[in-house]
Amino acid sequence: MMIEALLAVTLVGALVTFVAPNRIAGKLAFAISLLPAGLGLWLFSAFDGSGNALLEGELAFESRVEWIQIGEYTVSWFVGLDGISLPLVVLTTILCTLAIVSSWTPIDDRESQFYGLVLFIEANLIGVFAALDFFVWFIFWEAVLIPMYLLIGIWGGPRRKYAAIKFFVYTNVASLLMFGAFIVLVFSLGDAVTSFALPEIATAMLEGGPEAFMGVAGSTIAAAVFVAMFVGFAVKVPVVPFHTWLPDAHVEAPTPASVLLAGVLLKMGTYALLRFNFTMFPEQAEAFAVPIAAIAVISVIYGAMLALAQTDLKRIVAYSSVSSMGYVILGLIAYTQFGVGGATFQMVSHGLISGLMFMAVGVIYNATHTRMVTDMSGMADRMPVAVGILVAGAFGYMGLPLMSGFFGEYAIFFGSFGSGRLPYSQVFTPLAMFGIVIVAGYLLFALQRTVFGPYHLETDYDVGRAPLHDVAPMFVLLAIIIALGVAPELIFEMITDAVDPILENGGEL
Amino acid sequence: MDVPIEYFVLLSMALFSIGLFGILTRRNALLFLMSVEIMVNAANVNLIAFAFYHGNLTGQVFALFAMALAAAEVAIGLGIVLVLYRNFRDVDVTVPTTMRW
Amino acid sequence: MEGLFDYAPAIALFPLAAFVIALAFGPKLPKKGAIPGIVATGGSLLLSLAMLAAVAGGEEGYYHETLFTWAAGDAAGEIGTDAIEFTFGILIDPLAALMLVIVSLVAFLVHVFSLEYMNAEGETGLPRYYAGLGLFTFSMLAFVYADNLLMAFMFFELVGLCSFLLIGFWFRTRSAPSAAKKAFLVTRFGDYFFLIGVVAIAATFGTVQFAGEDSFVAAAAAAIDDGGQLFGFDAETWVTITGLLVLGGVIGKSAQFPLHTWLPDAMEGPTTVSALIHAATMVAAGVYLVARMFGYYALSPTALAIIAFVGGFTALFAATMGVVKDDIKQVLAYSTISQYGYMMLGLGVGGYVAGVFHLMNHAFFKALLFLGSGAVIVLMHHEQDMWKMGGLKDKAPVTYYTFLAGALALAGIVPFSGFWSKDEILYDALIVGLEQPLIMAAYAMGLIAVFFTGFYTFRMVFLTFHGEPRTETAEDPHSVGWAIKAPLLVLGVLATVAGLANLAPVAKLTGAEISFLEYWLDGEYGGLEALTYHSYHETVPFEEGAIGSETTTMLLGAGLSLGLALAGAFTAHALYNVPSPTRHTEKLGGAYDVLRSNYYQDEYQVWLAEGLTLPVARAADRFDQTVIDGAVDGVSSVSLFGGDRVKRIQSGIVTNYAALLVAGFIALLIVLGFLGGWFL
Repeated sequence: MMIEALLAVTLVGALVTFVAPNRIAGKLAFAISLLPAGLGLWLFSAFDGSGNALLEGELAFESRVEWIQIGEYTVSWFVGLDGISLPLVVLTTILCTLAIVSSWTPIDDRESQFYGLVLFIEANLIGVFAALDFFVWFIFWEAVLIPMYLLIGIWGGPRRKYAAIKFFVYTNVASLLMFGAFIVLVFSLGDAVTSFALPEIATAMLEGGPEAFMGVAGSTIAAAVFVAMFVGFAVKVPVVPFHTWLPDAHVEAPTPASVLLAGVLLKMGTYALLRFNFTMFPEQAEAFAVPIAAIAVISVIYGAMLALAQTDLKRIVAYSSVSSMGYVILGLIAYTQFGVGGATFQMVSHGLISGLMFMAVGVIYNATHTRMVTDMSGMADRMPVAVGILVAGAFGYMGLPLMSGFFGEYAIFFGSFGSGRLPYSQVFTPLAMFGIVIVAGYLLFALQRTVFGPYHLETDYDVGRAPLHDVAPMFVLLAIIIALGVAPELIFEMITDAVDPILENGGEL
Repeated sequence: MDVPIEYFVLLSMALFSIGLFGILTRRNALLFLMSVEIMVNAANVNLIAFAFYHGNLTGQVFALFAMALAAAEVAIGLGIVLVLYRNFRDVDVTVPTTMRW
Repeated sequence: MEGLFDYAPAIALFPLAAFVIALAFGPKLPKKGAIPGIVATGGSLLLSLAMLAAVAGGEEGYYHETLFTWAAGDAAGEIGTDAIEFTFGILIDPLAALMLVIVSLVAFLVHVFSLEYMNAEGETGLPRYYAGLGLFTFSMLAFVYADNLLMAFMFFELVGLCSFLLIGFWFRTRSAPSAAKKAFLVTRFGDYFFLIGVVAIAATFGTVQFAGEDSFVAAAAAAIDDGGQLFGFDAETWVTITGLLVLGGVIGKSAQFPLHTWLPDAMEGPTTVSALIHAATMVAAGVYLVARMFGYYALSPTALAIIAFVGGFTALFAATMGVVKDDIKQVLAYSTISQYGYMMLGLGVGGYVAGVFHLMNHAFFKALLFLGSGAVIVLMHHEQDMWKMGGLKDKAPVTYYTFLAGALALAGIVPFSGFWSKDEILYDALIVGLEQPLIMAAYAMGLIAVFFTGFYTFRMVFLTFHGEPRTETAEDPHSVGWAIKAPLLVLGVLATVAGLANLAPVAKLTGAEISFLEYWLDGEYGGLEALTYHSYHETVPFEEGAIGSETTTMLLGAGLSLGLALAGAFTAHALYNVPSPTRHTEKLGGAYDVLRSNYYQDEYQVWLAEGLTLPVARAADRFDQTVIDGAVDGVSSVSLFGGDRVKRIQSGIVTNYAALLVAGFIALLIVLGFLGGWFL
């Protein structure tokens, strides 16, 4: 019942915040969000699951209640955590708390609604990672979009409407594709499934696979469903060429929304890829390994090149997310313990680091009201602490050892280099690794121009040191990043435990 | 009283066509409303005639409902016409087109 | 003595603590963080000396301990076990112990020197400076005693970070951040290959340990013996490939051609930082890594030959550029590149002892020269152009004589330390070169470089210290205090006498057993059998030749190199040791422009970054905005356009709707009629 408690606390908190007066909404939301954050940490310490949630693993905090009957299929309220989803849930709760604190400065309009929506999004994100019934999962999955749409559309920058609609429509169309594909899959599995519970569907997929359905052969259906779901999730991740909504959404979104968008929302895509495509369709994944690896490499290099061409700090970080998510795809397709485990680790790590980067850029924006690289220089002179953290975050992004990003990337590279499942892995891996040079290039270039050099600012603002409550969340993130970089086993152990069963189905173990 | 059913149907068709013609040609909202009423009554005639023909009361009950509905509709319709007049100083239905998109 | 090893982790942790203290409390501390730094590096130095004693006096003579597991998991390697562990561990063998002492000594002296050099002038950001020094020392020390390749890589990268922070210390200028960025980027480019190498080695052998039964070196040797295939290559070819990949990192960090371009720019940092970077930390890290995993390179003649050739070429290449520089620090920068080239040459020909020997000597005399130039810069009120100096000899005798000792060592004049190690390298290169034409070429380049080294070194000395003062500041220099003089004296003594550690030529001539460093690295006082000089020497696949007897060859080589060094020095004496020296560079003609522009190496690398990559990135961005995003927006505009057309049916006139309704009804009737067969 702990997950229900977590969801209930967050949802009730969202409602309470929604009706609270604007004046106290920020502090109230922070106080409320400490509950799920604390609960998340408790879940982390009390975690007793083992194995993979979809593959007959021991679930932690499981609860399953029959809910409704749709035709022959039973829909249940079915939630539970394993080593893959737990770190993501904890990431969500922590990042939301920190995002709330980081919004105290920039958000000065309709605060209660803003913070209510942030808590609402938190609840839905927890639901996405915890739900194990497709029906329940899909409700949470779609419900995440609405608050994010509103956050961008109401509190965003000048082109917020365009960005919000683009974000919403693009990801929603992708969801439709994925939803359709999944329904086809469930029907084509025939009598093997009687519910929408993901473990049951996974078992049916692995043991029998789809039957011929409406005159189409089962293997064709499986391949088509795999591709459709891959595309559906790829938009969310996003991978090239489905990435164009991301920079627009990030640039227009207010800082806390960017933090959540990059930190957690993108992970929904990779999480779903891991849960659906790579857990349920190992054979198809092997068949499509080369094109997917190529997409991953292109995402890494092309995303990094795009970041190099930008002059807006937020756009730089946004495109670099495309690049980082490419690593995750590469790790997943490698089907080795370090590859898939490293990819999962990288999801968490990237969530922390990109969150940190967006916060740091946001703090600079709060002071300067510009994000253009060309508009400022020498910010380190005026806001040394914030810039120090920005530099630390940038190096984290570059994969500096002893920070979490390095372990994620190293594990992915190591896992994919030796992968026997992925053809030409010794070619793909070094190609993707070149991303670490380009990422250093554009981040250092941006740092050199904005925070170093003689102090200069185009906009007419007085820049002073950032307030404590802007800087404190970044310190917390930095501490977590370093802790995970020094001792990745903190979560890598539970991740590999949950990843192993996936690899037993045709992977390498 | 042995009028064949065809005559009722013909009457109803005639009424309906008159109403339809009124809707397609008239621009005055009041006449518009009247035309609609004529069409409703064409349906009522049909209902009662067939009820009589079948020998049960279902159609008549329906007709009663339809009349009550028509009365309510007229009330709302007239209200709309009044608002129309207030806003546009006219009861021409082709004038207010601003609500289309 | 063995018990001392338990304190080994503290060697690196002391400076880390200093880093934390300086960062957190620096502004409130009396010397802004200098004191904790000095205490910590002093502690590290004492502990490192203790390690030296423990290696020499212990039963086993080495220390190899895994501290904690960083990450563990399963991975199907090409060969080796299925389970792999990535750990942090400490390996202290003779090589590591020696290097620990060098690094902590130089770091300690740099800290002391900074007390006056940095603190005196009302510099802001000193806590940042000392924190950076602390982190730098920590990273380097941890790198030195890393017991596996991955840990080495991690601290190698951290060293790069610290160089970024310290080179960019004066971030309010435009040039320092640019130089810092360049240093990190260029070395990152090398590290990219290094990381591929680490990943490949780990994936191939299932281990990244340097030493012991399950080291990748042993696994590679076994694989070559088996003659199997690794990733579709011969085992030896694969070892060569992975070895060269790791070498990429070495070339980047040790500033070898073609990735040397960052190093002269790195002079933007404070001079103390330059001393630390060049003598003991960043640049030394590359060469040290080659020495650390020498057993691996020894398996591949191709890799060794490439190391030797790159080293020889860099030695000459950098030395020629050093000839025309006007800035005292620039001359030293190019001399660093050149000297590390010698070390690579030495290691590449299998002269493990010679390479390490030069690494040690170079650490002393280069730290001395940089700190000396720092003292000169203090004397000259932050003037670095040698043409504005002159005549400092009498006004600053301590600086002059210590600097001269360093210069003599650098130029390789007997009996200063640099002579012994450089001569040993050249001797090793010569005997191998007699059998291998490629290495003969490398040797020849190294030999010619000796002349240039002698020349630019003494050009620097004469321009700075001799002749008449050429500016007012040179006539009345600022004074320097004990914190500057003491480190200079310590290093001056070391630069003079460090050669005594390994008087190989004397030993050969007289038969006296005085090549101590060789015995040390050969495990005579303790060490791991697989990591000893003779073990390496057996593996290295090169034949050795001689001209006449071994002694003749040795004397010939030594005479040649000494003669060339003296020739260089006397040329410099003739040209520049006059009361008012003039520039002679115009005599070089077109060559001057080439040298002055550093062979246009910067130009093409900047072009690669800004002329090629950036436009490609912009083109990609345009492509992204127009084609890919255009397609996305296109879908939406097609929908919008379609909707805009279709909505025109909604005229807003009720009559039209009714007409449409009727028309639709009639159409439906007709269709149904046709289908139902009414009209047939």
